Amino acid sequence: MYISPRVKKLRQQSLDAVEKISAERALLITQFYKSDEARELSAPVKRARAFEYLLKNKKICINEGELIVGERGPAPKETSTYPEISLHSLKDLEILDSREKVFFKVDDEVKNLYKNEIIPFWKGKSNRDRIMSLMTPEWNDAYNAGLFTEFQEQRAPGHTVLGYQMFSKGFISVKEEIRKAIESLDYFTDNQAFEKNEELKAMDIACDAIIMYAFRNADALEKLATIEKNPERKNELLKMAGICRKVPANAPDTVHEMLQHYWFIHLGVITELNPWDSFNPGRLDQHLYRVYKKEIESGTLSTEKLDDLLGCFWVKFNNHPSPPKMGVTASESNTYTDFCLINLGGVTSEGADAVNEMSYILLDVIKEMRILQPSSMIQISKITPDRFIHKALDIIKTGFGQPSCFNTEAIIKELLRQGKNIVDARNGGASGCVETGAFGTEAFWLTGYFNLPKVLELTLNNGFDKRTNKQAGLQTGYAHDYKSFDDLMEAYKLQLNYFIDIKIRGNNVIERTFAGWLPVPFLSLLVEDCILNGKDYNSGGARYNTSYIQGVGLGSITDMLTAIKYNIYDNRKITWDELTRALEADFAGFEQLQHEMIYNTPKYGNDDDYADNQAVLVFEIYYDAVNGRPNSRGGVHRINMLPTTSHVYFGSVMGATPDGRNAHLPLSEGISPFQGVDHNGPTSVIKSASRIDQLRTGGTLLNQKFSPSFFEDEDSYSNLTALIRSYFSLDGHHIQFNVVNAGTLKDAQQHPERYRDLIVRVAGYSDYFNDLGEDLQNEIIRRTEHE
Amino acid sequence: MEGFIFSVKRYSINDGPGIRVAFFMKGCPLSCMWCHNPEGISPLKETVIQTNRIGTREFHHREDVGKYYSAEGILEILEKEKVFLNQSNGGVTFSGGEPLLQFDFLHETLKIIKENGYHTAVDTSGYSTAEKFKAIIPYTDLFLFDLKHLDEDKHKEFTGIPNGVILDNYRILIESGRDIMVRIPVIPGYNDDPDHLKRLRQFLTETKTISLKKISLLPYHKIGLSKYKRFNIPYRMKQTEPPSKERMKELKEYFSETGVKIKIGG
Repeated sequence: MYISPRVKKLRQQSLDAVEKISAERALLITQFYKSDEARELSAPVKRARAFEYLLKNKKICINEGELIVGERGPAPKETSTYPEISLHSLKDLEILDSREKVFFKVDDEVKNLYKNEIIPFWKGKSNRDRIMSLMTPEWNDAYNAGLFTEFQEQRAPGHTVLGYQMFSKGFISVKEEIRKAIESLDYFTDNQAFEKNEELKAMDIACDAIIMYAFRNADALEKLATIEKNPERKNELLKMAGICRKVPANAPDTVHEMLQHYWFIHLGVITELNPWDSFNPGRLDQHLYRVYKKEIESGTLSTEKLDDLLGCFWVKFNNHPSPPKMGVTASESNTYTDFCLINLGGVTSEGADAVNEMSYILLDVIKEMRILQPSSMIQISKITPDRFIHKALDIIKTGFGQPSCFNTEAIIKELLRQGKNIVDARNGGASGCVETGAFGTEAFWLTGYFNLPKVLELTLNNGFDKRTNKQAGLQTGYAHDYKSFDDLMEAYKLQLNYFIDIKIRGNNVIERTFAGWLPVPFLSLLVEDCILNGKDYNSGGARYNTSYIQGVGLGSITDMLTAIKYNIYDNRKITWDELTRALEADFAGFEQLQHEMIYNTPKYGNDDDYADNQAVLVFEIYYDAVNGRPNSRGGVHRINMLPTTSHVYFGSVMGATPDGRNAHLPLSEGISPFQGVDHNGPTSVIKSASRIDQLRTGGTLLNQKFSPSFFEDEDSYSNLTALIRSYFSLDGHHIQFNVVNAGTLKDAQQHPERYRDLIVRVAGYSDYFNDLGEDLQNEIIRRTEHE
Repeated sequence: MEGFIFSVKRYSINDGPGIRVAFFMKGCPLSCMWCHNPEGISPLKETVIQTNRIGTREFHHREDVGKYYSAEGILEILEKEKVFLNQSNGGVTFSGGEPLLQFDFLHETLKIIKENGYHTAVDTSGYSTAEKFKAIIPYTDLFLFDLKHLDEDKHKEFTGIPNGVILDNYRILIESGRDIMVRIPVIPGYNDDPDHLKRLRQFLTETKTISLKKISLLPYHKIGLSKYKRFNIPYRMKQTEPPSKERMKELKEYFSETGVKIKIGG
């Protein structure tokens, strides 16, 4: 990829721009909700009108030299807030402004607007307030004890990806689909016909709104053209204006049109609400390839021009940090990254190898742009050429943490098992961190992380949580009451099912609040069958509707259970009383015991069945508790195993644990072994990780840290490729490589100023090392280096 | 029958092609001054003080160096790693120490694992009898053969034994039809003077057959230094510094005139 001065400048601007809170959206949404009109409308139409109001009145931002236009806020990194979802207090704003990591600057004007306009109107009325008032005391106790987090308290459910369909049509034809759907409403036998009509009306308004917004951009571009001195740029501006008048109203015919088309859609989704994982173009190499090929053949697109367009497109993602969070959510996923994961490779809808020229071009863009957002991954199938993987390793080698590697066959099998048809499955991929989804057809919501080791901690203490001083769990007995390992596991199972019930009950209520108060008519246009069903994305309108609960700490709980089984029940090396006292003392005065637990006890991650059997046990109990339980959108709950950064938060709410871990330290992440306990190398880690039946999840995360020396030459690339393919032949879902050496990281901790560009793989995504909290930095340093 | 093995390495990628499991067998007739596996030299049982750390606290305990493995035990480990070995066209490597020092075990084990379809490699100093080499040739797909010095006296000075037998065995193996990869440790001040390099290149070129697949130049390093301390063995090469990257590149260039693929590192 050739980085032109234009792209270089835009990239630098994006890197230099300071994250700020913009009150624009909050103010506009407040004005709209205060209006007389708003009060009279049904929920979907009200939300559609709000969407229209935002797009009609928000400032249009055209950055100098850019080819793709549109910003969520008034300028790059000026970040919108969503008071109807969760309202920042003045104190929250102060914290955001002053916190060291992942800050958002808040100026006085914004503070005043919040104080005088926004807070007075929304106080007690945000959906977060609604959710919290609807939760049971049991839910609150469990939530406060740190058994689970709640995804929807500060962000709207999103977790969906644009499929190929929307890349080949415009909103004028979508309006036609809506018209037909309204016409075919059956008021005689369908008792939902009225509600469907309201929803479809709302969708139609949303179509008009996004077209209107594109036209506003066109107007602004034309106006700029009249004062532009440089004839070349003037031409460009006029051409861009023409494109904004064409897309997204009509189907795009060129690469430029396609990128702008997608970007308007992306902006629509993240302006309407603040859905998780922002939004995602998904299989970008597949979508672009057709028009790219056509343009190259007809000579309308040069490689320089293509590079420019892709560079400008990439910068757009980086201009949009994840909306600011507060409270617990801030530590569960504290990052500017908004988890937009570009998928490359995989298979076509017919099952052929999907790697094409565009896949290689985009890998090159990832390598040369080297910015935090968007994230990227490659899908590797049995027929993916080695050359493609080697090219990706070339980028991974640089320690950038991207792209991560996914198993196409596993994704397809996971989706098929869930009842998707084969074409939808092949068109699928992973979004966010590692979450499997059918792109363009599925609403796959993550509902919260679930702290598996915490359940064990409570099981050992009669369900009582010492930190919050609450009887959070069931009274199943104390550690010494369990006469056998099986007894303990029985009690664990009871506790787990109890907390899962609490979580699912909460989910089913929370999902209805979004269906009732916060429909998303615009997002509903983008996911198949919402129009056909006359139902909102937030009410189960999509073809597939899945709710995930993300299990966290598999490695840790496996080691804890193994330590108990090995030292107490099987070998009688220690008694429960000794261990309980050691845990209460956080191992102070019990150092020798701690040493035994850490160094002389089998651990997960070493291909040792004695330990790995517990991983399988925990997995199966978790799976049985969650999988197939109905959600409130006509779909079911399922599990996946990923932590983002919640393993740090979940560790902080826990005391010392039987695996020798000191109180409050992070837990293991994803399905990776606990930091530093795997001492047999990567093949053993892979063997252990593939003991659980990953095909019955919606995604797992395995992190492997390598020093750069594993990426020396062609031979080592081939061996890494073989390592990945081996894991995938064992039905592994995902593996990512963190390529850094500990010395570099330690130095970066000492001298952050010298490492401002240092990006590392955290867990399912990459982040700037400097933006990570110190504990997370330390953990990344500790992770075993396979030297 | 059991073999005495001081280390088992999975995801071994520098001891032959693909992903391998490498078994390091205890006992070596040589005592090279730069040896980075000094714990592999003595064929006897040894113990060592091992230190584990939790934070700044240290825990010491005595640990045996080496464990006994049967051929079946070896096979069991390979079965666990099979998926990686197959996927990468890798296999198993016996290294050391000098694996031929435990000939009976090596012979039997190679035979069994070969029958089970694994690619086998033996990493040898070349110091054993011709009969023993001939006996394992049928069960060994690849020999990793160390060439340290062509000069008999120099060889003896730095490794403790003369090199005549080694060179004879090299000639046997290079004519055997089995694959050979030569490994040359590059030790500054010992074997890297222009005259010796020239002789070495000449020797490799003259004896070359289709069997010779690769020449690896292994730069001297001090990674093993901490082991010397731990095992309380005097380290005689403190003054020697590792060759620079540029120097290694030069040497790679120099040896490519043999017409054989040259690699820096294993």
